[in-house]
Amino acid sequence: MKKKIALIMAMMMIPASLMGCGQSAAPTTAAEPAATETTAADAAVEDTAADSGAQYVFLDEDLGVESYAIGFRVGDEELAETVSGAVQALVLNGTYDEIGEKYPDIKDYLCLTADDIDASTLPEEGSGDPNFTFKHGFDLDYPPYSYRQDDASVGGFDVELCQAVCDYLGWGYEPVPFNWDAKDMELNAGSCDCIWSGFTKEGREDDYTWGITYSNNTQGILVPADSDIKTLADLSGKIVGVQTATSAYDMLEDSQKELADTFAELRVYETYTIAYNDLKAGAIDAIAIDMTAGSFLIADDNA
Amino acid sequence: MTLSTMLSAMGEGMLRSCAIFFLTILFSMPLGMVIMFLRRSRLKLVSGITKIYIAIMRGTPLMLQLLMWYFGPYYLFGMSIRGYRFPAIIIGFSMNYAAYFAEIYRGGMETIPQGQYEAAEVLGYSKTQTFFKIILPQVIKAILPSVTNEIITLVKDTSLAFTLAYNEMFSLAKQIAASQTSFTPFIIAGVFYFIANYAVAFAMERIEKALDYYK
Repeated sequence: MKKKIALIMAMMMIPASLMGCGQSAAPTTAAEPAATETTAADAAVEDTAADSGAQYVFLDEDLGVESYAIGFRVGDEELAETVSGAVQALVLNGTYDEIGEKYPDIKDYLCLTADDIDASTLPEEGSGDPNFTFKHGFDLDYPPYSYRQDDASVGGFDVELCQAVCDYLGWGYEPVPFNWDAKDMELNAGSCDCIWSGFTKEGREDDYTWGITYSNNTQGILVPADSDIKTLADLSGKIVGVQTATSAYDMLEDSQKELADTFAELRVYETYTIAYNDLKAGAIDAIAIDMTAGSFLIADDNA
Repeated sequence: MTLSTMLSAMGEGMLRSCAIFFLTILFSMPLGMVIMFLRRSRLKLVSGITKIYIAIMRGTPLMLQLLMWYFGPYYLFGMSIRGYRFPAIIIGFSMNYAAYFAEIYRGGMETIPQGQYEAAEVLGYSKTQTFFKIILPQVIKAILPSVTNEIITLVKDTSLAFTLAYNEMFSLAKQIAASQTSFTPFIIAGVFYFIANYAVAFAMERIEKALDYYK
């Protein structure tokens, strides 16, 4: 009897998982152009997105702009300076843009250009201690900055850029994927040398020694294309989802607290994956998320 | 990502989950026995301390305990914790589960009536003989269903190792779900856990039947 029930359950689960797979099999890198070209200043996003049959769009108004930088232990100025210098050197030799090309959702938010860099102060190629291994601390749940790629290997923009930095300096590279909630403990205990994983600088200025800001990002509101929510004011009385411990969440608790107070509910999720499924199912009305992660999330459905 | 890549990545995670599972069973079951004896000690001090230990292990979240075991040596003694991630997970799980097993064993011990000890004494059995030949076989039979429960819980609890960023199966499911924006990895994880627990339940049922020699 037990065997039969188990068999029936397993048989029900297999087609269910196969169905789920078919939906997700499309390559995630082939993002909808209309969605990825969303920039902070781009006011016509919604129209272009609607024209191309997008199912989910960002509101024209955003919640605010933030900068992604590399966080080091307080007092690690020398390391921060060396790594920042190496990043700038990679901008000059084109590696930075080359890696950016692979991540269409991030490309438009990269903020370093060769014009602003003073080449004379940068560390020489291969000038690092060859016996030093740089331990890169990051979160594996944060596409497209650091995540598990289609071949199940660890990758993402931040991972590739950090590897390139180590190659440039001649250091060893050690990936240290950690649990985001324990990031400060990991850093202070020395299991990693930096936090480099789409890490927002705003609001944490004094908590770390900061390396270079290599990317900007905009926090926005993601809604279904046919939603009657068109402005931030329309969010009044609606249910908005957000992922815990993200800067979108921090913003809604701090600088955008007044806006958050107009919501019927701010629902906090452990991951955006679950929030997005709730949005699809109509259980919530909107998601507060940064533009790059949001574009990544909706890429398959908008394709 | 193809289904086979997903399955092989998660299969690898499953092996890591199994490593946690078997090592925890290996250490926590005997350790639970020791704790049970300490808990039943006639010395008030020993049984008191053991009681506090059990209260802490059962009364605080396992997730917190794992963080404490891993980061404790650094924050308390300034020790380097390089390479200590996996041992910390095994220590955390074993110490926690030992507390539960100790209480299950104790429950089994309490079911044995005092008369049996007296009868054994009259028949000339030593204390050790009494325990191993008369008490233990009965205790094992009595506690098997509870132990099965606990072991099944352990299979699912292995997912808590994500706290210390150990890439066991459920961490992988979450990572893949995030990068593929899909629920499929969670369904696969569910199937994996179900199969693992079905195997556990099957094995335990066999053991129960084998021990049912009086029926």
